[in-house]
Amino acid sequence: MRKLVLLGLLCCATLAQAQNTPDDVKTFTLDNGMKVLVLEDHSIPNANMYLFWKVGSRNEYPGITGLSHFFEHMMFNGSKKYGPKEFDRTMEAAGGSNNAYTTENVTVYTNWFPSSSMETIFDLEADRIASLDLNDEMIESERGVVLSERSTSLENSNWSKLHDHLKGAAFLAHPYRWTVIGYESDIKNWTKEDLQRYFETYYAPNNAVVVIVGAVKLEEVKRLARQYFGPIPAAEPPRPVHTVEPAQEGERRVLVHKSVSTPKLMMGWHTPSTSHQDYYALDLLNSILSSGNSSRLYKALVDERQLATSVFSYVPESFDPNLMYLYASASKPDNEAELEAAIHEVLETFIKEGPSERELQKAKNGKLMELYRSLETINGKANTLGTYELFFGDYRKMFDAPKEYEKVTAEDIRRVAAQYLTRHNRTVGIVKDLSTELTDAQD
Amino acid sequence: MRKTNLYILLLALFALAGSAQAQNFKLPPYQKVQLPNGLSLYLMEQREVPLISVSAVLPAGTIYEQNSPGLAGVTADALMFGAGNRSKQQIEEELDFVGASVSTWATKETARLQASFAKKDAALVLGIVRDLLVAPRFDAQEWEKMQSLRLVEYDQAKESPRSVIADYYNAFVWGDHPYSRSSAGTKASLQAITIQDIQNFYKRTYTPGGAALAIVGDFDARQMRKQIQALFKDWKGKGQPAQQLAQAPQPQEARVLLVNKPDASETTFYIGGPGVARNNPDWVAIQVVNTILGGRFTSWLNDELRVNSGLTYGARSNFDSYKQGGTFAISTFTNSESTEAAVDLALKTYQRLHQQGIDAATLESAKNYVKGQFPPRYETASSLASLLTDMYWYGFDESFINGFQQQVSALDVARANAIAKKYFPADKLQFVLVGKADALKDLSKKWGTVSQKEIKDDGF
Repeated sequence: MRKLVLLGLLCCATLAQAQNTPDDVKTFTLDNGMKVLVLEDHSIPNANMYLFWKVGSRNEYPGITGLSHFFEHMMFNGSKKYGPKEFDRTMEAAGGSNNAYTTENVTVYTNWFPSSSMETIFDLEADRIASLDLNDEMIESERGVVLSERSTSLENSNWSKLHDHLKGAAFLAHPYRWTVIGYESDIKNWTKEDLQRYFETYYAPNNAVVVIVGAVKLEEVKRLARQYFGPIPAAEPPRPVHTVEPAQEGERRVLVHKSVSTPKLMMGWHTPSTSHQDYYALDLLNSILSSGNSSRLYKALVDERQLATSVFSYVPESFDPNLMYLYASASKPDNEAELEAAIHEVLETFIKEGPSERELQKAKNGKLMELYRSLETINGKANTLGTYELFFGDYRKMFDAPKEYEKVTAEDIRRVAAQYLTRHNRTVGIVKDLSTELTDAQD
Repeated sequence: MRKTNLYILLLALFALAGSAQAQNFKLPPYQKVQLPNGLSLYLMEQREVPLISVSAVLPAGTIYEQNSPGLAGVTADALMFGAGNRSKQQIEEELDFVGASVSTWATKETARLQASFAKKDAALVLGIVRDLLVAPRFDAQEWEKMQSLRLVEYDQAKESPRSVIADYYNAFVWGDHPYSRSSAGTKASLQAITIQDIQNFYKRTYTPGGAALAIVGDFDARQMRKQIQALFKDWKGKGQPAQQLAQAPQPQEARVLLVNKPDASETTFYIGGPGVARNNPDWVAIQVVNTILGGRFTSWLNDELRVNSGLTYGARSNFDSYKQGGTFAISTFTNSESTEAAVDLALKTYQRLHQQGIDAATLESAKNYVKGQFPPRYETASSLASLLTDMYWYGFDESFINGFQQQVSALDVARANAIAKKYFPADKLQFVLVGKADALKDLSKKWGTVSQKEIKDDGF
């Protein structure tokens, strides 16, 4: 990025002196309900188009788990004007590239291109949104691709399986129970009709937010959006996800076998959705616990007591109440109990004492630098604007973030730790080599 | 996720590229000076955001570590074990407090330091960077802790074929050559390394005479130069004489290395051979041709192995280039049961490059792609700082960057096909397969002479 977006952001006094204001982001909504955000940035001769669709694995049910993600793949496999393979071929020949990702909450399509190719991108996107053509052969070969994606993650990460099992234990009712990739049997069995229904239900323009950042002119974007996206009809809004996860009333534990050199430990505590007032305090709590080598958990577990080789925690952005996660890799083949006890000890102390003023300030400074770095590039800007628009309800909240973090007190953070990081609210998962125990059990 | 991050890594190769639509794209102006102690200093003002990035390069990679595999990487890490008047923990606390990031690591040829921080914290962070490079403490207790950590991480890494297959491939293809070594070293060597070894390696290789420091961001170049000169004035030492490495070994026959991972459900594999040095005059053209073969989503390899057959989530090819040589490899992974189909299809697809060659439309598309994807590579101060230290290490200047656009545009079909023939090894291919050896042993004989290693054994 070549302009100040947020700032005086760095620290303390001058937070409000933004050189670039929320008003620099222009928005308009097409008659069919599609909302478009545009930020002109001429620092490089490129631009991007991010399409955020409000559909993710929370919109699935048993039998079609993983379908949101599979659908994401199918969006590249042919539509009326651009048949199979033509989407990528046309885009790359125009100097563009693309990717996409699916989460529990959203599906996001990302296009990066030289500004001069913008019309091609509109044409490609409009064609697949208006008239996706689900081709039987492509469905079958894509099934193989997604099965490979699933298995390569299991092959290369010792966390995948554990994550899968931990979510299944932490959630009884809410669809956050399964992972985004879905169950293998569902991947193998969903049908073309399932896909078609998904397309009709969720891929209507009124269920999307489009963000365009880069060397573009607002008027040109408006013209192309009206021309290409305008004619696509709106649809009945999808039925809301109404399932509320029942309160957890006691610790849950899961044990998973895998031949690992040292055990892995994962914990999850139920926490509120991103739009909840506690979000900023939880996010700062997360930083204080595990961001950087001077964080509480790293210092205690890796540096001082050497019980873990790494520790990490995070709070996902989420439409519905979700989990705060903690991951730790044990340093020995059999010290996971000691590691777990040490984690609880760190958390208990924290809940009693809360953060020091310096820790609080450190977390705030870190958050601001993080946000700032994400706005260094046109892609970071597009992704961050879209994320705030969807999860915080308004892209303008991005500009308020420094102020919101600044408001949080040490007591706020202690309180959220005390409220959410309780024993009865947690699920603990461990993956370790259980081959001895499994053999014993068979005897 | 639709595509692996491998593509992002691949795009990094184009960091020296030019821009399609930015006909006038030029590297922003910068200064290069040599300080009295021999340190090369690059300064580039980028005043739009109040951030500063630093990149340092030193001739302290694995090729210099002699009999102690892993020593280069360990020494780069050990810079953080306390420096100047701060302990390791004090350094981490002070950097974290201002949200600054500083990291150090070693590659085959060099040791690297990268820092990023807010303008207002420049005095603090530059002071720490100076201490790390000039006055590291090499605390023995910190090494003990790091040593046990690294040994555990060594085994953890081998649980993920994707994170170690390049190390096996390099060891296999380079043989006795210094480039064969992984910066991870061996467990035996890591156990033997003492704090004295680290100190000696540091003294021998971390000298200003062979090093460069690039600073990009929001500062006044004149003042910054003075500040750096004052900060680093006590750092002394000539650079090591340039090390002339042996020629890359030429394969005598097709060979297959099976790395046995008994619990694997996939086979992860590389196929390739010798590549090119970073200063090869045809380097840009080679990148364009590789884009067609395995450098983008619609590349031949990804199209065949992923899109047409669903055998894998992604397939690609890549040139790894160093100062005095490099390697080429096709890489992908597939279910254990489909190993034969995937390897054969990769080979068949690769043969198209030599047998059918590249057509005009494909070349045009690849040229547009390479040019169009270029400008974002230079968006941040960190990417510009890394570029400047790469220019220092590999010995090129901005004319290369500013002329890239032209070089790509000038590539025609005849030359693209000549490049394919000249630089993409056509026979005596080298295979590394990580997977269940029992299931692969007999099968692999059709591709070359087979040898086998256990993934749990020390080294690569």
